[in-house]
Amino acid sequence: MTVDTIRPTRRGFLMGSGALSFALLASGAATILPAGAEAQPLPDGRVTAWVTITPDNRMTIMFGSAEMGQGVSTSLPMIVAEELDADWSTVASEQVSSDPEGVYGNPMAGGVLFAAGSSSVEGYFTYLRQAGAQARQILIQIAAAHWDVPAEEVTTHRSTVLHGPTGASMTYGEVAALPDPVWPSGEMPEAELKPRADWAIMGTDVERLDIPGKTTGAPVYSIDVELPDMVHAALLLPPVEGETPTLNSDAAARAVEGVVDVIVMDHAVAVLARSFPAALAGRDALDVGWTETSPFRMANSADELVALAEAADDMSADAVVWESRGSGPADFAAAGVVTGTYTTEHVYHAQMEPLNAVASVDADGMGAEIWLGTQSQTASILIAAAVLGTTPDRIRFHAMQMGGAFGRRTVFAREQMRDALLLSRASGRPVKVIWTREDDVKNGWLRPATVQRLDAVLDAEGYPTALRHRIASPSIFQFAMPDRWNPETRRDLLVMEGAESAEYAFGTFQAEHVLLPRQSRLSAWRGIGWAPNCFARECFLDELAGRAGTDPVSYRRRLLAGSPRALAVLDAAVEMSGFGTAPEGRAHGLAFAGYKKTLATGVAEVSVEDGQLRVHRFWAAIDPGMVVHPQAYRAQVEGGILFGLSSVLRERSTFTAGQIDQSNFYDYEPVRIADIPEIEVRFVESGEPPSGGGEIGVPMTAPAISNALRRLTGEGSTRLPFPAQQA
Amino acid sequence: MVNLNVNGRAVEVNAAPETPLLWALRDELKLKGTRYGCGAGMCGACTVHIDGQAAFACQMTIGDVGGSEITTIEGLSETGDHSVQQAWIAEQVPQCGYCQSGQIMRAAALLARNPRPSRQEIVDEMSANLCRCGTYPRIIRAIERAAQEG
Repeated sequence: MTVDTIRPTRRGFLMGSGALSFALLASGAATILPAGAEAQPLPDGRVTAWVTITPDNRMTIMFGSAEMGQGVSTSLPMIVAEELDADWSTVASEQVSSDPEGVYGNPMAGGVLFAAGSSSVEGYFTYLRQAGAQARQILIQIAAAHWDVPAEEVTTHRSTVLHGPTGASMTYGEVAALPDPVWPSGEMPEAELKPRADWAIMGTDVERLDIPGKTTGAPVYSIDVELPDMVHAALLLPPVEGETPTLNSDAAARAVEGVVDVIVMDHAVAVLARSFPAALAGRDALDVGWTETSPFRMANSADELVALAEAADDMSADAVVWESRGSGPADFAAAGVVTGTYTTEHVYHAQMEPLNAVASVDADGMGAEIWLGTQSQTASILIAAAVLGTTPDRIRFHAMQMGGAFGRRTVFAREQMRDALLLSRASGRPVKVIWTREDDVKNGWLRPATVQRLDAVLDAEGYPTALRHRIASPSIFQFAMPDRWNPETRRDLLVMEGAESAEYAFGTFQAEHVLLPRQSRLSAWRGIGWAPNCFARECFLDELAGRAGTDPVSYRRRLLAGSPRALAVLDAAVEMSGFGTAPEGRAHGLAFAGYKKTLATGVAEVSVEDGQLRVHRFWAAIDPGMVVHPQAYRAQVEGGILFGLSSVLRERSTFTAGQIDQSNFYDYEPVRIADIPEIEVRFVESGEPPSGGGEIGVPMTAPAISNALRRLTGEGSTRLPFPAQQA
Repeated sequence: MVNLNVNGRAVEVNAAPETPLLWALRDELKLKGTRYGCGAGMCGACTVHIDGQAAFACQMTIGDVGGSEITTIEGLSETGDHSVQQAWIAEQVPQCGYCQSGQIMRAAALLARNPRPSRQEIVDEMSANLCRCGTYPRIIRAIERAAQEG
């Protein structure tokens, strides 16, 4: 990552607020922006720095990943505060909206602002500890200079600098109020950062900074933004992707009280009104025809499932090798090879805040102010600049906290923002675009269906000497991130990750991807490839264990023997659940699953009553390396388990002739509170660096439930969602 | 123009009587804590109290509720210290937060009617409200806490 040095003109920013600010440069060096005579008002009220300390001893810590419920507005500042030796009760946090200097990006995401794939704490961990440590060193050096003592004699404790020999002390706020600028810099070696045993903030269950506000209705999401003279837009979207409208008549729409304008776009017809209900009423009154020539008129999800199944079985079909280990090709056509086939259907994100955006385009049409909930501020700003044909510096961007995202807000096209920009430019007014829930469901970017075929060559004891995991699916990556798709290698990590089975010793192993053309819009969904891929593998392994006449725990223990971390979570889940000792009429099922560096084992306890599957309890043992914020991590795991349960019970998007058949929560219904099991989560820390928790709840859940069902009834589910008579 | 009683105050709303209460609260009265989630009475993000009973603001018009006492999340307590709100903080319930106004309003109405609900009564009542983040386990714990401490 490259970074410009901090421009001198910014030195004045903080002076105006009588505050100190610290920025961590890419080199690892810190720069101080001292209080002084150059007092200037804060431009846009923002400062490009990680930490601001005011004379009242309050501090604000910036965070780069967008808050969508995962708790980064607390967990990331905890990392800075730990090394800064801050008094946590003085800390507030603030979302970074843009990063023109390249200071705030996630090192794990190529240095851009991008929150996805459970990467925030993992990616920022070292970088933010260095930022906190360097800020602390700066405070020490200012205090040492003020006291005229050696800096080596100055220590810190809970937002206080101390000089033992003289007994002098100052709060960080008092240091921040000192007039003398100091410009220390230098690397902060990782080895000098606090070891786990010295953590005082990380690893504790501090309350999330965003929760009090979320109990009073106070949070402002982009859907809540209001501007003077703003109009609300409802869009009549194409019935099938890619079709264009012909406006027959807008007379009735324009006659609706409150309607301001009707604007025909390439891909939609927009009704602008003084209120959203008026915009909706105007939309209902439009008379619009569509080209009806989209190739997706031929797209049917039922047909796609058949085609995927055929491709998975057709060994002459072209397959991209994703992962290959072991000693050469195995004969999967030989007698005795065991085959299992698993199907996962399309699912929709169903984030609770319907997608929306607010934009106000400048009079010259070449700049704009934007309010958007997005998993990538960086990508959104670039998209906005491209829409207007301008440069990113003309985009004033407000990254808003999100009412859920789950992968829907990662994609490199932001239709609502694009349309808000185009409509604001056309109308000369600020515009808020809201998709109704029906718009959101019917224009979903779905996790694609997959058909997964596993073949195993078994030894005399029933253990694999060779295993092939073949996944037929269209490419998410090619569609959602076309600029970054490599058509030569065709490696789609959004579909294939999780198929590596890296902890398992299968002898010869190959994971491969049979790519079919997409039949719908596609994007990643919480759990990404790991959820469908671990479902297939873990169900298959229980089948193999059953064939071998071995229990699923010892069968896995032997295959996982080379991974102490995997064995630790497996054993912990077995112990905490009392695996295999379910009450009468119930059964336990188990699945081992990872998400990148995080490892987990889940155990489900299920029954079937009156034909209804019921998950009563779920135990999860997780190795996230180390846990920065345990209670928030636990919340992520709970939420991930319920996402997985939801994919078992009901979630399914289907489409007919290119149109998604579902409309709203009455025919696409995520889990409700009555569906949930008792959940128990235990951390099994290995001491590795922290790894993410947003996805890890999902991949283990469906296979654990299926395996429990199999042990209860003799037959698990090979499909997600489970067939209706089981679910 | 419709006259309403919202959070203990008489207010005039400059909108037609058939305007959904949800949008009148949000866009006319600027009470944004009541959320739009589905517009179909399926998710509960818009839950408010009508004469003390939990109700979907998206499913009624302002003409329907002119004679009623309407309470939104902003009016549940003066300083955010209703026993349900306190329990929500103690149990660290919210994640994205979007559905939580509605969850809290429904929980508060339940406890007002039934101060010691059973686990099953909590689940039955709260099944009207969706939470996609999966905060349900903590919602149950928070309601049980509020019932004990409230």
